[in-house]
Amino acid sequence: MNNRVARCSMFVTPTNPRFIDKAWTRGGDVYILDIEDSIAPAEKERCRTLIRESIQKAGKGGASIYVRINKPFVDADLPYAVWPGVNRIMLPKTESAAEMRHAHEIISRLEKERGIPEGEIELSPMIESALGAVNIHEILTATPRKIWSQGGAGGYDMAVNLGIEMFASFDQYAFPVAYVALASMALGIEATGGVFVPNPSGRVDQGDQAARQAEALHAAGIHHAGALHPAFIQPLVSGLSPTRDEIAWAHRVIEEYDRLADEGESIGTLDGKVIDKYEHDFARQTLDWAAACAAKDRYKARALACAQADVRG
Amino acid sequence: MSERLMPKYIRRSLLSLPIDDPQLGEQAFASWADAIILDFVRKPGTDWQKELRARMPAAIVAAARGGAEVFIRVNSDRAAAELDATVFSGIAGVVLKGVNGAEGIAQASARLDALEASRGIAAGSLEIDVEVNTAAGVWNSLEIARASRRFGTFTVNEPELCRNLGMHPEPVLEFEALEYIKSQLITVATSVGGQAQGMSYPLSLTQKNAGEEDLRKAVQRARDTGFKGAACHHASWIQVCNEGFRPSPGEIAYYRKVIAVFAEGLKRGMASVPIDGKMIDVPVDLRAKLYLEWANRAQARDDEKARAHEQ
Repeated sequence: MNNRVARCSMFVTPTNPRFIDKAWTRGGDVYILDIEDSIAPAEKERCRTLIRESIQKAGKGGASIYVRINKPFVDADLPYAVWPGVNRIMLPKTESAAEMRHAHEIISRLEKERGIPEGEIELSPMIESALGAVNIHEILTATPRKIWSQGGAGGYDMAVNLGIEMFASFDQYAFPVAYVALASMALGIEATGGVFVPNPSGRVDQGDQAARQAEALHAAGIHHAGALHPAFIQPLVSGLSPTRDEIAWAHRVIEEYDRLADEGESIGTLDGKVIDKYEHDFARQTLDWAAACAAKDRYKARALACAQADVRG
Repeated sequence: MSERLMPKYIRRSLLSLPIDDPQLGEQAFASWADAIILDFVRKPGTDWQKELRARMPAAIVAAARGGAEVFIRVNSDRAAAELDATVFSGIAGVVLKGVNGAEGIAQASARLDALEASRGIAAGSLEIDVEVNTAAGVWNSLEIARASRRFGTFTVNEPELCRNLGMHPEPVLEFEALEYIKSQLITVATSVGGQAQGMSYPLSLTQKNAGEEDLRKAVQRARDTGFKGAACHHASWIQVCNEGFRPSPGEIAYYRKVIAVFAEGLKRGMASVPIDGKMIDVPVDLRAKLYLEWANRAQARDDEKARAHEQ
């Protein structure tokens, strides 16, 4: 399965059967099984014991599965979170390299004990404080464990830390989000943040907001976004995939560039636009991303069909 | 994230006054500023250090009459001599201007160690606030903030910073050009447990007096950016800053509701509860509690100043 494609990752609460049982029908690329802030303190113990069965339930529509653990309970949470079928552990409120190394060591031990290839599970630091943002480089380079994509440095927790009200009409996270995205890209990690989309209402359940967000991210070459409500899933999944026009254009660019190369040229024009090495490389990236999205969509469609057949019995 | 005071200081309005002003005490008293920053001039051809040492203790007392915290502004490139001449009991700290790297603040900090010991000031109690007015100061902000335990705040001196960056020091643009820099200084200061002071564009650059409505909007935007107070170019800004750089009555009412609704949700085993389409969860509940504490501390500061005015 292609875990790189995570156009929409949605948090689900394992303790709520309504969310877990329906997740696979909603078409998300990723479900994040949460043991952290959406789980009441008194429910955390029960939540941990539900993770293993939730992986299969939430993932049967072909989605990747992440688990978000608790910063104060890393040692207690990880043995309930590291299982075959989990693609990524999300480490909230990460502020130092030491926290990453600690989680990495525990995950490595559990992978060995549970027959998971060593290093297979990704570890993603969540940057939710000013200290985490300024330490981003040491955090991202702390362990050899794979990090596919990295973003954040905005959101509720950052707002609390900075002492600001969210949902102003301007970018309140200009530095931390851009700094984290830039550090990630400098290290060859795909960035998932960096574009401000106004949302003065603060609502998290409106599809048109998701469509605006997808449009802005897509324009900035960012392929991933998070969701707190199912209404966000489809607008994000479709909005962060290349359009037919973009794919057709990319094919024409590559064709034209190849023709130029055959003639010993390196620059030309197509429909009045300059075609050169950079345009060619960008077209390749578009087709590469389109292929990855298509593969993910096929995988999800097959998984969904199987799951629906199971339901029908 | 450690549970620290948010913000670290209730310092919403900062007013600069020259010690040469014969009305210093009256101006400070009438201003209701949270903090007074004392400026001095080094008069050529005089023993300026001796003169300042003689005058400073009385100036500090005068500046503090209205209950304000008192700071002395000193220049980083001649900090040792200026600190020797101006640091006396009664100040909260110094504003160090023109710091371009860790060394500048580390040296000033070492000097304060000696002065605290020799002048009867509690060891380690004096704060260093850094007034940022150069590109180097911004670029090295993290090492500056980490270089001394005395570091408390960054203040953006926007007119001087613009000149240093080769930008027009008048508000001629349609947008906030220093948004990223301001966000950086706020983030860096917060990362070490401090805070930042500044005003939003264009009032950050204008020396003209602004209408109250424009000023309120500018303070709101500065607060939404993450600033916890501002240097007041006019005494008329102080009241608006004191009211604007703290949770409003509307916010206080809303966050009381948040705490009640969330607590009710927890009783039912829900850690995520909606209010008007917004999800209330752990970080929102935490913010609600921090905001109420912030409002209480701001009120306590106002009460403290009111008592000083009654004396």
